[in-house]
Amino acid sequence: MTFEAVPVALVDKPRRVREMHGITESGPGLLPLDAGQQYRFTFDMGACIGCHSCEVACAEQNGLPADTAWRRVGEVEGGQYPLTKRYYLSMACNHCLEPACLEGCPTGAYEKLANGVVAHHADDCIGCQYCTWNCPYSVPVFQPDRKIVTKCDLCRPRLDVGEIPACVGACPTHAIGVERVDVQAWRADHSGADAPHLPPSGLTVSTTRIILPDDLPEETFAASDYTLQPEHPHWPLVWVTLLTQIATGVMAGAVANGAERSGSLAAFIAASIALPTSLFHLGRPAMAFKALRGLRRSWLSREVLAFGLFAAMTGAAVLVPGAATATAALAVGIVGVYASARLYIVPGRPSWNTPLTIVQFWATGLAIGPLLLAAINGPSFVLRALAAVGSGVSLAAHLANLARLARDDRFEHRGTWTLVRGHLRRPFVVRVTAGLLAIVIAIVGPPEVALVFAALAEITARWLFYVSVVPLNMPGGFFRGRLGAHR
Amino acid sequence: MKPISQLLRRLVDHGGDRYTYATDPRFGPTHAEHVPDQWVRTTCGYCSVGCGILLGTKGDRAVACKGDPDHPVNAGRLCPKGLSEHLTIGATGRLRTPMLGKQPVSWDAALEAMVDEFTRLTTAHGPEAVAVISTGQLVTEEFYALGKLVRLGLGLVHYCGNTTLCMASAVSGYKLSFGTDGPPSSYDDLALADCLIMIGANVADNHPLLVPRLMENRHGTLVVADPRVTKTAMLADIHLAVRPRSDITLLNGIIRILFEEDLVDHEFIAAHTSGASALRAAVDAYTVEHVAAECGIDAADLVRVAHAFGRAERAMVAWTMGVNHSVQGTETVALINTLCLITGNIGRPGTGPFSITGQCNAMGTRETGFTGSMPGYRSFDDPAHRLELANLWGIDEARIPTDRGRAYPDIINAIVNGRVKALWVIGTNPVVSFPNREVLEFALGRLEFLVVSDGFETPTTEMADLVLPAAIWGEKDGTFTNSERRVSRVRKAVEPPGEARSDFDVILDIADRLGVRDELFPGWKVPEDAFEEWRVVSRGRPCDYSGITYERIEREGGVQWPSVEADTAPGGTPRLYTDGVFNTPDGRARLRSVEPTPIADQPRPQYPFLLNTGRTVEHWHTRTKTGKVPILERLAPEAWVEIHPDDADRLGLRAGDSVRLRSSRGSVEPVAVRVSATVRPGEVFLPFHYDEACANRLTPSEFDPISREPNYKQSAVAIERLHA
Repeated sequence: MTFEAVPVALVDKPRRVREMHGITESGPGLLPLDAGQQYRFTFDMGACIGCHSCEVACAEQNGLPADTAWRRVGEVEGGQYPLTKRYYLSMACNHCLEPACLEGCPTGAYEKLANGVVAHHADDCIGCQYCTWNCPYSVPVFQPDRKIVTKCDLCRPRLDVGEIPACVGACPTHAIGVERVDVQAWRADHSGADAPHLPPSGLTVSTTRIILPDDLPEETFAASDYTLQPEHPHWPLVWVTLLTQIATGVMAGAVANGAERSGSLAAFIAASIALPTSLFHLGRPAMAFKALRGLRRSWLSREVLAFGLFAAMTGAAVLVPGAATATAALAVGIVGVYASARLYIVPGRPSWNTPLTIVQFWATGLAIGPLLLAAINGPSFVLRALAAVGSGVSLAAHLANLARLARDDRFEHRGTWTLVRGHLRRPFVVRVTAGLLAIVIAIVGPPEVALVFAALAEITARWLFYVSVVPLNMPGGFFRGRLGAHR
Repeated sequence: MKPISQLLRRLVDHGGDRYTYATDPRFGPTHAEHVPDQWVRTTCGYCSVGCGILLGTKGDRAVACKGDPDHPVNAGRLCPKGLSEHLTIGATGRLRTPMLGKQPVSWDAALEAMVDEFTRLTTAHGPEAVAVISTGQLVTEEFYALGKLVRLGLGLVHYCGNTTLCMASAVSGYKLSFGTDGPPSSYDDLALADCLIMIGANVADNHPLLVPRLMENRHGTLVVADPRVTKTAMLADIHLAVRPRSDITLLNGIIRILFEEDLVDHEFIAAHTSGASALRAAVDAYTVEHVAAECGIDAADLVRVAHAFGRAERAMVAWTMGVNHSVQGTETVALINTLCLITGNIGRPGTGPFSITGQCNAMGTRETGFTGSMPGYRSFDDPAHRLELANLWGIDEARIPTDRGRAYPDIINAIVNGRVKALWVIGTNPVVSFPNREVLEFALGRLEFLVVSDGFETPTTEMADLVLPAAIWGEKDGTFTNSERRVSRVRKAVEPPGEARSDFDVILDIADRLGVRDELFPGWKVPEDAFEEWRVVSRGRPCDYSGITYERIEREGGVQWPSVEADTAPGGTPRLYTDGVFNTPDGRARLRSVEPTPIADQPRPQYPFLLNTGRTVEHWHTRTKTGKVPILERLAPEAWVEIHPDDADRLGLRAGDSVRLRSSRGSVEPVAVRVSATVRPGEVFLPFHYDEACANRLTPSEFDPISREPNYKQSAVAIERLHA
């Protein structure tokens, strides 16, 4: 036979550790770490038969409900009958050296432990799910019964007593292993973590060592490829981003048109609605205050701070009207929208991962805000012009982004265009038509009518923004897409 | 205040108290809910590999399953079904109380009704009016007791099991060649063989814990003959992607090469077989070119395989349903036996024709059951065997039947024509598992009285007049015998739900009501009483259990029969026929020659595709159990059809599309399209687990003339796109 089952790179652990923790008998144990090492998974594609025992063992080990999978088995196929090859990729968390989940977390719920485990602390998680966007492997998952994100911790409670992870212990063919890796050496060359249909290992310096079979066909497809499905719309986020951007756009109109007081009031109201609305996005809204902890690295924390400040400053601008206070509030709003957009510029979400997202977020505010002011205070050339430019730039940025994605052969890039062109065609036509009409009417028609079309265009655009993203992910099995994008 | 504090708590709570870990003394830190009070050593209740399982219980609940690290079969590892098997016990859809005419009744009322109805019908119409169809999933003790109850207590003529849908061809084939049933090899042989040919056996999906044996075999040549590029085929050194039903041609071709190139064992043929010259003549037409063309394989591959097999010191053939599920299943098995015999590959390590059977205790019913043969591989038509049993049981010889009665499909026919009027179905779900569902449903609908014993609500219990709720795996005691003849213990760990009872109890209760309990089951109280009698009854037979006791099974982690009382070899007997003496009258094995017959339901313009059916690793049979395990359902929630990319292009189908499959017998929909080059153009594959898209609405009423096993694997079908 042509394959090799890779032995678990372990020896019997010292008896002492086991007895200390009340464990009297068990399988092979872990070697203790030397300086500069961490633990990691290994996976031998040639030895895996796709039996899913690892997934069941993981669910049992961690008491997970059936709809929450910390480990998933993907399928990759290629070749012509009868020389067809189908290989499986059983993947859990890669316990990366540069964990993107950790970088983005606003509450500091993630921690890279000394043993290499990327640990997630449930108590600190507010269920914002930002980590699920950041991870290019879509490893962290929102667990509905807990309303927080959870993920594989390499069976940390087992590692702590020198036991191997449950999936490793359950694999009938020893395809999954656990071993020690020299962190510096791996950082220098982590190509061993690359495999067909996996995101490039360099994005986060994945540590999982994947042993590829030598007869892997040149051209392969993942069994889940066919199931391009729209993602969650994240409705609270649709409204929060729109409202904060509109508020900023109103302030822009107010500053440009000298209508500081009514503009500030409108902006204050919009921001005041937006902030509590954002809580609806959270699994644990009562813990929202923790979102300010991550200012040093998380754009989510910065966004929260900026818009908190923005709401206060628009309020101040109502009480103390004037160009200075209004301009100051506008400046904070622009920064807030920038922070907001930066949230989405993550490699794990290719359709968002572009400066065009920033342009679009700013333009959305400009497309609606000035028209709102015109509807309240009466139209002016400046407001009309700002709105027309806003709608125009928003539409142009949207189309430019789609053109960028359509030209890219990578599955997740093209995928967004495929969705917009196919499944989401009608909303997309609405978005473009309403956007064009908004430009024209903003210049020559009643501002109220223009406002309706601009709002329709931007709401649809924002909804499309969320649902048409195709996240980077590990390859899935045939049924992933049939059950929803996150399986 | 309270609602407010509750609300606040709800907002802050993340359910962390449900997700804590505790340390199991044996397996270390685990989710606290899955750390049991005690581990019960038992044997898996799904397939016939017979993995050792530690079933963890907490109070009255089953909370965990782990592979038994000390078990010789699986060394601590399990497939996903075994790892989640405890979830079948507390699953939804369990039957809890007897139901008569859809109304809950007491056991007394239920069994009174059953005995009355059976007695009324047999009195009025004779013993042929009532039939019984059992299973391969009871414990051996229940099979032994059930056989005596059905044949001697109820005095019925027609008694068969769902094992006829499964491995009956292996039984019949072994009988043709060796005189009796009995797989001669062990799992260890899979690792020892220098050349292993697997025919129609996708163990990676269906017997996953045998794959480690293949992987242990680093030196040998693994050949897989299968029309599909299964995961097992992908592991092979040589995959022979033979056309469906061309296995006989393939075997004849290999045999001819072996004779031509003098790679046969003349000494063994001369000393231990008969029929060699007829065989030599019969395979003469099977030239390399002819065989390669008929099978759709490379001539060079055929020759390579024949050479690898012929030149191997130890060569072995293993097979499963790809061979058995055929109108020529029996003869194909006999031809596999022939291949091993002419090369002397039997009775030694790493050799043998090895049937890897299906259900957890199909072997138990083969040995102890009273269906196709009498207990202990005894023949209905052998007066000495009948006398022997009458003496062992202390009953009049006249009461021992001289005929096996009708086999499963012929019982269904007898229901259709009205001769069988009542049926007792035990632990099987024919509505989903029997071929040509339309006919089966018509038959069950005609019955005057249908009794179904099962642990779960199934489409078959839906049709029943009387439903008897049964204890399932984990709720009763006994033994299972696996494919390598290893007798292992299964243990009761928790009480059955509601009023459900073990089949053993129910069998004794019915005997009591018939007034035959003291005669048939003297002093029996627990399954071990049945086992002790079976040890005596099997003494001196090929499947000799006389040296096997519960105590010894416990000590040795299972014992392979035959094991005589004086036997002290730990673990029993790994191989049969080590002396080259077979169970035929003259002690010689028969070399059968076989000619292939074409597929009856040939693809044609109206039904252009050839449908193959089979399994997936996540599910077991008709999903009665696995369909209730949430994680397994998530992994494989619905039926799919595998179709080659060229065919999909031609039909304008893409992966994920919904289609209808139609044969001349019926149709199923919706089925999800899976485009994959694992099937040959013109052929499609549909798993048979799903009642919702039941493959057996498509399969034909074609049966092996000897084993009566259905031909599940070749039906002509059309594929039509469904517009969502």
